[in-house]
Amino acid sequence: MDRPSLLRCTLALGGVVLTSAAAGSVNLVMAQSRPPQEVNVYSGRHYNTDKALYAEFTRRTGIKVNLLEGKDDELIQRLRSEGSRSRADLLVLVDAARLYRAQQANLFRPIRSSELNKDVPANLRDPGGRWYALTRRARPVMVNPAQVNAALIRTYNDLSRPELKGKLCLRNRASVYNQSLVADELVRRGARATAQWLRGVVANNGQPFYSSDTTMVRAVGQGQCGVTIANQYYLARLLSGENAADRQIAQKVRVVWPNPTHINITAGGVTRNASNPAAAQRLLEFLASPSSGEGYAAANNEYPLRGWGNNPTLRRFGAFKASQVSMEQLGRRNREAVQLMTQAGWQ
Amino acid sequence: MLSAWPKGDRRLVLVVAVVAVSLLALLPLLTLLWEALIGSEAAAMELGVDGADQVRGTLALVAGEGLAGAILGTATGWLTAECSFPGRRLLRIAQLLPMAIPAYLLAASLIDWASYRGLRIHGLGWAIALLSLANYGYVFLLSTESFAVSGRRLMEASRSLGVGPWRCFFRVALPIALPAIGAGVALSAMEVVNELGAVRLLGVPSLSAGILDRWQVDGDPKGAALLSLVALAIVGVLIAGERQLRRRSRRWNLSGAPSDQPLWQLQGWRAALAVVVCALPPAVALLIPLVWMADGWQNLNVQAWSELLPLAMRSLSLALAAAGVTVMAALLLAIVRRWSPQLGVRQLSFVAGLGYAVPGSVLALGLIVLGGPLALSPLLLLLWGYGDRFMAVSKQGLDAAFERIPPSVDEAAISLGSAWSDVLRRVHLPLLRGPLLVGALMVFVDVVKELPLTLALRPFDFDTLAVRVFQYASDERVGAAMAPALLIMLFGLIAAAALVPALDRR
Repeated sequence: MDRPSLLRCTLALGGVVLTSAAAGSVNLVMAQSRPPQEVNVYSGRHYNTDKALYAEFTRRTGIKVNLLEGKDDELIQRLRSEGSRSRADLLVLVDAARLYRAQQANLFRPIRSSELNKDVPANLRDPGGRWYALTRRARPVMVNPAQVNAALIRTYNDLSRPELKGKLCLRNRASVYNQSLVADELVRRGARATAQWLRGVVANNGQPFYSSDTTMVRAVGQGQCGVTIANQYYLARLLSGENAADRQIAQKVRVVWPNPTHINITAGGVTRNASNPAAAQRLLEFLASPSSGEGYAAANNEYPLRGWGNNPTLRRFGAFKASQVSMEQLGRRNREAVQLMTQAGWQ
Repeated sequence: MLSAWPKGDRRLVLVVAVVAVSLLALLPLLTLLWEALIGSEAAAMELGVDGADQVRGTLALVAGEGLAGAILGTATGWLTAECSFPGRRLLRIAQLLPMAIPAYLLAASLIDWASYRGLRIHGLGWAIALLSLANYGYVFLLSTESFAVSGRRLMEASRSLGVGPWRCFFRVALPIALPAIGAGVALSAMEVVNELGAVRLLGVPSLSAGILDRWQVDGDPKGAALLSLVALAIVGVLIAGERQLRRRSRRWNLSGAPSDQPLWQLQGWRAALAVVVCALPPAVALLIPLVWMADGWQNLNVQAWSELLPLAMRSLSLALAAAGVTVMAALLLAIVRRWSPQLGVRQLSFVAGLGYAVPGSVLALGLIVLGGPLALSPLLLLLWGYGDRFMAVSKQGLDAAFERIPPSVDEAAISLGSAWSDVLRRVHLPLLRGPLLVGALMVFVDVVKELPLTLALRPFDFDTLAVRVFQYASDERVGAAMAPALLIMLFGLIAAAALVPALDRR
């Protein structure tokens, strides 16, 4: 081969190789220089205020927190694929169904902590000590009183009343929030009653299924929908936001607390292959403690693990009676719930 | 394929190189199929009701967007390349604006903006409209380049023979530009097959969402692999169709020489119509997010300003590195396509472009499975993923450009004793400078917008602009998403501006 052509080939391939080598060595250097006191967190939450809490943890303990935020399902899959090579120490996920999925994939390591057992109510943690709730969220009914008489609705079951035909708006079946809500009904009322309820609910649905709670809550405020089911923080966000138009729309929405109200959690657990499980447990205990738990909840207008917290917007919504179904059961019945929703025509 | 080869020309080097690049591109896909089909428990290999809906949804999107994108891209490509009307130069550049704006941003901002006003943006029609808007730029870029550069002599001849503009377009320019248009449509359609955020927001069932849900939510990797195969088949058909089209309309010409021939002068209502056709798509694409931002500016999250600089730097460096790697690999494949007589090697280079078909998040999983045992750094995996995913973007344009260089040029060079590398350096590269730059910039813009791979493969504390926008938007916190979204658009616009000289050669 003559020189120029050799040169060109080397260049073409060399570029790729060089880039890889450079990236690899940078990583190697980073890996080697990692001090022992660090904890790596995979989190399904994306709040800048979380970082302030992590910084506070670092200030108190000297343990540095490295963060990788992503979508819950993606993080679960990533952790599964990484297997024993994973660098994650703590996994934070939103929703019982996903926690159960991660638990079934054997991603968590059971831990024992009297602090966590004290701070986290029994139905909000895994009986096996694999994950512990950090915040609570509720999924109440939201009503536009000009369209729908709020007194009609005392339980989720009332959403299947024929009077609500065409007035109900629903988020799609892919939403894990609705899956967990249906699982809650399933645990409390059994498959037959739930299937019947689902048929009624789907028959009342008056709009194509929504893909987000916020647009649905706005639609209720504007009167295109009379009633919907949405997580409380979406309405709280619109009410306490800077946007005057949104505030005006949200003022027209009334929260109706079904008895009991479905609640769900954000929770964390030490990972199976954590290289620093002790630090991960400390961080978990820190986040679940009432003082920092309040901050974790406030970031997203959520409820702390006990009581209603100090968030003025949430206090305006009033108190509710939370469903006592354990988070573990919600996860266990998720698949069945999705099947029932599919059969009922919930898209 | 050439018959005459000079003595001492080692094509073996090319073959080895192309096999290496193709293997790199195929490895994640093969790993994935292996994982899904062999490495897991048996699950029913059936589409089911949801699967059938997802196939139908994606096919409808591809058909609708393909048609709308082809018409829009060709019309704007022709008008701004060959016709003269007020604002032509500016409008020519403006066609690049929509490419800078991610489809998920268009969808999210339009849905959000409309829901303030009590309007519901939902369903297939809107999805086709928004995806066409976001992706017709591929057709525009490739077709307009072809209109402006190739067939000039033929066109001039036709015009001197008194052939009118319409006949000239349909009988001369369009057939010559068909490969480029086909390549553009194929690219934009592949982008549609891969689109996740926008179609999900708009409630259209799609293969990309189905693959992800089956894999991650249902824990059914076999089902995901089955849907991936359907997606691969659709993209395979797209690529094959585009190649067929190109083969049928194979016409070479060497021009590049600037022409003194005046453009078609449009006047009166014709000029007005041309302005509207060319101004509307970029204006709409730009106005959707801007009006939304202006409307909700009170929500603009000021706390987050300090994170913008590192986010932007990471997006920028990833995009630059990916553009470099991808274009080099694509050039290699394109060279081999031209020089190598072995059919197998040519097929390999074709298959290497298939990474574009695989939803980014699935490709990411393949790379994670692969990357672990090889102890590769996450950043390297990420670059690998980008290269795999966007190979087709830079390769399609290069292939089309190579087609336009007549083999007689190569043959002449070879008969004068040049090796392929000499021909590459002295003949091809100068002629390919435009398409190479266009390819690199398209990859750059794509990487800045790219989401699933970045989301799945980035290391700790390495968020990018797109990642932030997505995280905020998926929390339905649109205010916080605005600032990084604005920066993504800005980068896209800067890249688009860099494309101007390539477009403006004439």
